[in-house]
Amino acid sequence: MKKYFLTFIAITLATFAWVSCTDFPVDEDGLLITTRGQCYVGNFELLGVDFQTVRTKAAVIDTTAQTINVEVFFGTDLKNVYPQFSLVTDAKLDPKIVGKVDFSDLANPKVFTVISGNRLVKKPYTVYVTVQAKP
Amino acid sequence: MQLKHYSLTLLTILVVFFTACQDEEYALPTLEGGLHNDCIKRTLGPNVVGLNIEFAYAMALPQAEGKIISAQVEASIAGAPATYMENRSFSTNGSGVDVPVTVGSASVNTGTKTEVVFSKDTCAATLRYYYIIPEEARGKTVKFTFSAKASNGQTVSYEMGPYSIAKMDMKLDLVVSDNNNSYISIADMAVYNAASATTNAANIDLVYLYRVIPGITFTHALVSPASSPDYLPGVILPSGVNKSTKIWKVWALRDQHLARLQYGVFIDDIDFEKLDFTGAPNYAINLRAEAGTWVETADGKYRAYIYCNSINNTAKTMTVSIKRYPMQ
Repeated sequence: MKKYFLTFIAITLATFAWVSCTDFPVDEDGLLITTRGQCYVGNFELLGVDFQTVRTKAAVIDTTAQTINVEVFFGTDLKNVYPQFSLVTDAKLDPKIVGKVDFSDLANPKVFTVISGNRLVKKPYTVYVTVQAKP
Repeated sequence: MQLKHYSLTLLTILVVFFTACQDEEYALPTLEGGLHNDCIKRTLGPNVVGLNIEFAYAMALPQAEGKIISAQVEASIAGAPATYMENRSFSTNGSGVDVPVTVGSASVNTGTKTEVVFSKDTCAATLRYYYIIPEEARGKTVKFTFSAKASNGQTVSYEMGPYSIAKMDMKLDLVVSDNNNSYISIADMAVYNAASATTNAANIDLVYLYRVIPGITFTHALVSPASSPDYLPGVILPSGVNKSTKIWKVWALRDQHLARLQYGVFIDDIDFEKLDFTGAPNYAINLRAEAGTWVETADGKYRAYIYCNSINNTAKTMTVSIKRYPMQ
């Protein structure tokens, strides 16, 4: 009886030791590095300081040219907007969006880089903002 | 050994079973003698000058010991003249309706005290007290001492507070209209037309306008006089009206004092203090009902929240309510 008990304890300990030593790689942000190599933007949103959309219509995302074209309402305060990117699973964005972003320099559009889940593919997306023209 | 284990288990089960089945007899609670009292504050949110703080003060003693002869409240700062204590005690009926019973004469305010003298032979009552916040209390704290007297000579008292009184001001339902009463002064908490705006030019912070411009969404707007002419189409500003007021647009911040809707949201003094207007624009266009704007006057003297109660596209008007906080 004692022999069976000791064997059971030894197997359990060995199992725990093996599981705890399995390596799950994480990146510098503590995010899991996976095997996914896909790298694209699925959706793009732009919110004003009142957290309401400032888009006049859906943003046009070209995953081949790696561009996002978005038109905003006349009078949008482009110095204080919140961009929102929907990325493919496991991907991340660089630079990170931590608050309001200034998109007011229309001549120099902002570039955001999408990094794939396996962290091997990096695609820069340029966001072109146009303001609804006053007639 | 095994038999000993079985016996112990059986004994434990029996003890648990016996304890669980023990029936406790219900006994009527014993009535505690003497005069007792209790109080609750019924109003929520910040205490703003001009509004009231409502309390419900309950007092009772056993019927055999006497009756209540008076109830009194003493505030640390005298309430505004409209302060009063109900001379009716309310009970809630089966339909949830408060039914009043008059128990005494109308309350009398004497200095900081408000008193109701009972005329009904009653040993229990709950009276409501409405303290109308006076101007003198602005930015201070106020506390209350509720007390009751019984015919047997007993007295009881109950302390409430201290409660902070907000520094902010409030103005409800100002109607601004396009090309008429379209000039808003935060300093004066008032709306002016072009003629009166000229005489109060130094205090004009915002211009209201309504425009339907094909191809763009403009509609109802609050714009600083110093804003780009793009946001003031067709507006000829009165002489001297030239301030640049910082504005943040807000959506669905329905302060209950201003909106008087069902949402339990209140803007308090601290909200104004914590605002950061760095990089704020000086215009807000395409405003809708239930939207709002945080604003800071050009001299930084005031911050305010302007809530849009309603809009009327036909009349080209907007009804706004304002909370204003002095920063200096």
